[in-house]
Amino acid sequence: MININNLGFTYSKKQPPLFQNLDCELQAGSIAGLLGKNGAGKTTLIKLMIGLLFPTDGRVNIMDFDPKQRQPSLLQDIYFLPEEFYIPGISINNYIRANAGFYPRFDLDLLKRLVSAFELPESKNLQKLSYGQKKKFLISFGLATRCRLLVLDEPTNGLDIPSKGIFRKVVAGSLDEDQLVIISTHQVRDVENLIDRLLMLENGNFILQKDLLDIASRLNFSSASAATDESILYSEVVPGGYKIITPSDNGSSSVDIELLFNAISSGNEKLIEYVR
Amino acid sequence: MSGNIFNTKRFIQLFKRDFYHNRQLYMLSTVAYTGVILIVLSITQVGNGLIPHNTEIFQGFLIAFVSVFGILFVGHSFSAFRSKERTMSYLMMPGSHLEKFLLEFVVKICLMILVLPILYWVTYHIQGYFFTIFTPVLFEPVGFEYLTKLDIDDENFGTLIKWAIGSAIFLALCLGFTGSAVFSKQPLVKTLFSLAVIILFFTGYSYIVLEEMGVSNYSPPSDMWLVPLTEKSVLIALISALLFSSLVMLFVAYRKLKEKEV
Repeated sequence: MININNLGFTYSKKQPPLFQNLDCELQAGSIAGLLGKNGAGKTTLIKLMIGLLFPTDGRVNIMDFDPKQRQPSLLQDIYFLPEEFYIPGISINNYIRANAGFYPRFDLDLLKRLVSAFELPESKNLQKLSYGQKKKFLISFGLATRCRLLVLDEPTNGLDIPSKGIFRKVVAGSLDEDQLVIISTHQVRDVENLIDRLLMLENGNFILQKDLLDIASRLNFSSASAATDESILYSEVVPGGYKIITPSDNGSSSVDIELLFNAISSGNEKLIEYVR
Repeated sequence: MSGNIFNTKRFIQLFKRDFYHNRQLYMLSTVAYTGVILIVLSITQVGNGLIPHNTEIFQGFLIAFVSVFGILFVGHSFSAFRSKERTMSYLMMPGSHLEKFLLEFVVKICLMILVLPILYWVTYHIQGYFFTIFTPVLFEPVGFEYLTKLDIDDENFGTLIKWAIGSAIFLALCLGFTGSAVFSKQPLVKTLFSLAVIILFFTGYSYIVLEEMGVSNYSPPSDMWLVPLTEKSVLIALISALLFSSLVMLFVAYRKLKEKEV
């Protein structure tokens, strides 16, 4: 669905390039987590993917379209929820009337279900909702468009604890096989049981592009009282002991994304070799 | 909704979206516009000893109100570009560049040119009839044709002069329109400032450099093509230049929309 080849991008000629020779391929039917530290280029990469920024080198291809052209046939299949978003001062019903018609696969019943799941007031002016409520509405609307590509930039920022749970549930339960969701976040815990592919970005490069199943088959994530065993690839002190990563023996452990992210971004070569 | 350049159904949907998103703004603008007209016409009539306005005053205020509010309204074109969040939402809206451009052009220029004079005409009559309560002098309604009627005392070039005025107004609107696409913040102020700089530069260049070079002494031979020598050809050249400049401005606005990054 998404093909990025030799992507290069720089904000200005005076600055060093943010991306150089970046490659990535993402298929439909998955939820990809785009992770990286602040300033790693997550939002810029997303904007390049969907045509809000134009690459200085290389090529981006989405569903056989060049996103730079911003053709309606592509735009009607992409829904983008930015971290800081615009929402007009109208009611939910009027928002639906104004915008649903652009999306051929729009599912009004699904939207109603999601609005009810998030306990959003239908008649209230959208501007009068809290930041979190606005975000929940836009997430619901995005899922209801049934666009083949959903791009959510920091979707759980501003959501209260119960809403984060509902978010995970509705995203997992509302998707079709032909859809791809890209979630960019630095709040790894919020999407831990949701994503099935990891993209880790650092200094303009992917330091990891892997399916979680693949990682789980190679690495074991567990806790230990001591971190002296030679088989330990990475360890982190936590209250009461250590969180450790060891080579997998049976492939049944669930992936601790935060631990993995810390391990990889600390430059642990031994571990990187295991997941490469 | 196929067709990546223009699709009628999608264009209508864009209109619908514009209406729903900006309904409050349009309503408030209408109230402000008619309110200002009512107040100004009433103050003027009170100042004239309650004598109702005549067609001359009608046309004078028509030009003043439509010009001022028209420029303000056109300065609101591409309003999504005023903030990063709105720009992203606007660019990701499933419509082609041509459709988005046409929507702005139709709403901010074409509809404005139609609606502002009509609203003025209606408000003028409401104010006129309302003031008959306070004065015995009869209010004379003004015909709808006075919205476009221009009294130009020139038998030979009357039509061409009207065309020239119309083209100049259209260029002014196109300049405001393009300025709104080019400048993200305070587009009207920046457009006027840029225009002032460009005009000053060309005037200075013409008077200082070209005058020094003696270009004004050059008299083109009468058999040269494309050199307007009669009054009529000068007018036609002026109209052509104004219309061509307007088209160039519109093209610039379209390119700015197409190449917008955020």
